[in-house]
Amino acid sequence: MHALRHVLRRAGRSLWEHLYLNAMATMVIAAALLLLGVYLTVQFNLNAIVDTWDRDVHLSAYFHDDVPEERRFARRDELAARPEVQSVRYVSAADAREWLVQRVDDIEPVLDELGENALPASLEIELVPAQATPAAIAAFGQGLAGPDFEDVEFGQEWIERFNAFLSLLQLLGAVLGALIGVAALFLVANTVHLIVYSRRDELEVQKLVGATGAYITAPFLIEGAVQGLLGALLALAGLWGVHQVLVLRLQEALQLGLAGELAFLPGGYQAVLVLLGLTLGTAASLLSVRRFLASAP
Amino acid sequence: MIRLYHLHKRYGEVSALRDVNLRIAKGEFAYVTGPSGAGKSTLLKLLYGAERPTEGKLLLGGVDVSRLSARKLPALRRNMGIVFQDFKLIHSRTVAENVGLALEVIGTSRPVIERRVAAVLGIVGLRGRGGEYPRTLSGGEQQRVAVARAIINDPSILLADEPTGNLDGGMAIEVMEILQSINLRGTTVLVATHDVGLMDRFPYRRLRFEQGRLVQGQST
Repeated sequence: MHALRHVLRRAGRSLWEHLYLNAMATMVIAAALLLLGVYLTVQFNLNAIVDTWDRDVHLSAYFHDDVPEERRFARRDELAARPEVQSVRYVSAADAREWLVQRVDDIEPVLDELGENALPASLEIELVPAQATPAAIAAFGQGLAGPDFEDVEFGQEWIERFNAFLSLLQLLGAVLGALIGVAALFLVANTVHLIVYSRRDELEVQKLVGATGAYITAPFLIEGAVQGLLGALLALAGLWGVHQVLVLRLQEALQLGLAGELAFLPGGYQAVLVLLGLTLGTAASLLSVRRFLASAP
Repeated sequence: MIRLYHLHKRYGEVSALRDVNLRIAKGEFAYVTGPSGAGKSTLLKLLYGAERPTEGKLLLGGVDVSRLSARKLPALRRNMGIVFQDFKLIHSRTVAENVGLALEVIGTSRPVIERRVAAVLGIVGLRGRGGEYPRTLSGGEQQRVAVARAIINDPSILLADEPTGNLDGGMAIEVMEILQSINLRGTTVLVATHDVGLMDRFPYRRLRFEQGRLVQGQST
């Protein structure tokens, strides 16, 4: 208990006496976590947008012309009864033609020339949200293949491309995150090393009078934790500023109509950033003190 | 108290200590002497565990220091006091904080530290000077602070490496008188010095080293 008080007192004293170096270490951690936070925010919002798009995806199954209408309705009712299906709408060739004519000027003569079977009848199928993943949609679409349908479209290729892009972004983020982490660890460790170096006489004397490695290390770990915590809080504050000022204004300027949808980093991610800050601060301190202890008499 | 059996210490090709056999009794006062480079400081470093012998055995109060793990080194040092020629005081800490450090690292409560600090500062003649900073003290006073720090935990052995090397005659005598008084309280004192005048004034057993060999004073 007394030892803990001594350790806390020494940590507080060192934080105060090396205010400039501690502020440097805190700023390095804050800068690293801010970069990581920006990446995580972008990643989180892209994932959220993709989730929304995934939910909007539906399948169009086009009937062969020779499938009788009773059979088409039977297929509609059969699909509607499946648990993974949210809704099924039958679109006749006439409905499809009307839909296209209303939207595309001067298309009617072209359709007349192509004949009455230019646009096939189809079933427009929407899956329940839980099943609206690219893989589930693709599996469902492949399951429809058979003599009744001429073609099944579900935008699979586009979704897969975007998911591939997201995977690439995640990989780049992981590599970037690792590089930023190592660079930050190196910079903070060297800053802490300056603090250790300025206190080398005191630490050497402590060792000579019988201080254990843990006793010498503990105040530095507390200092590192404080640096990490403050760094993380600064990074979150900076991230909030970036989110409020830049991102929202950019949205307005581009009139993307996404205002309110572009979210700030959720609580779980914020906790991860704080934990990363604590880890970075304490790991850097541990590295520096261990290096010193190994060389001290 | 201290026993050395065929002790060797080499730094690469250079032998700092060669086949040293020695016995120092509990409560004894002895000098480790000889010219520069004879191995005086190396012997002291081996005794407080800053260096490991290359060969041989070093027993301190029955404990084989040469085989002591780094984890057990703090326990060894808590039972000894060490005084250096350059004092090794922390200049950003007050005299009282410097002296109390040896008790602080073992988790002693603040009131007990304050009581003990006041007592040992009295022993070394610095009563009431605890609030001052080392830089404001003379060399002799700084060394007395270092001695106070070395004895605050009642060590069974006190090692002093050239404790009077940076002091003038009068101050050196003051410090030697303090070390003598500590020895009279039962602490084994080992002083590394090449100051013949001082050894003549305070005559105790002399362990003379030359080129790493103990050439005089093996037996009491």
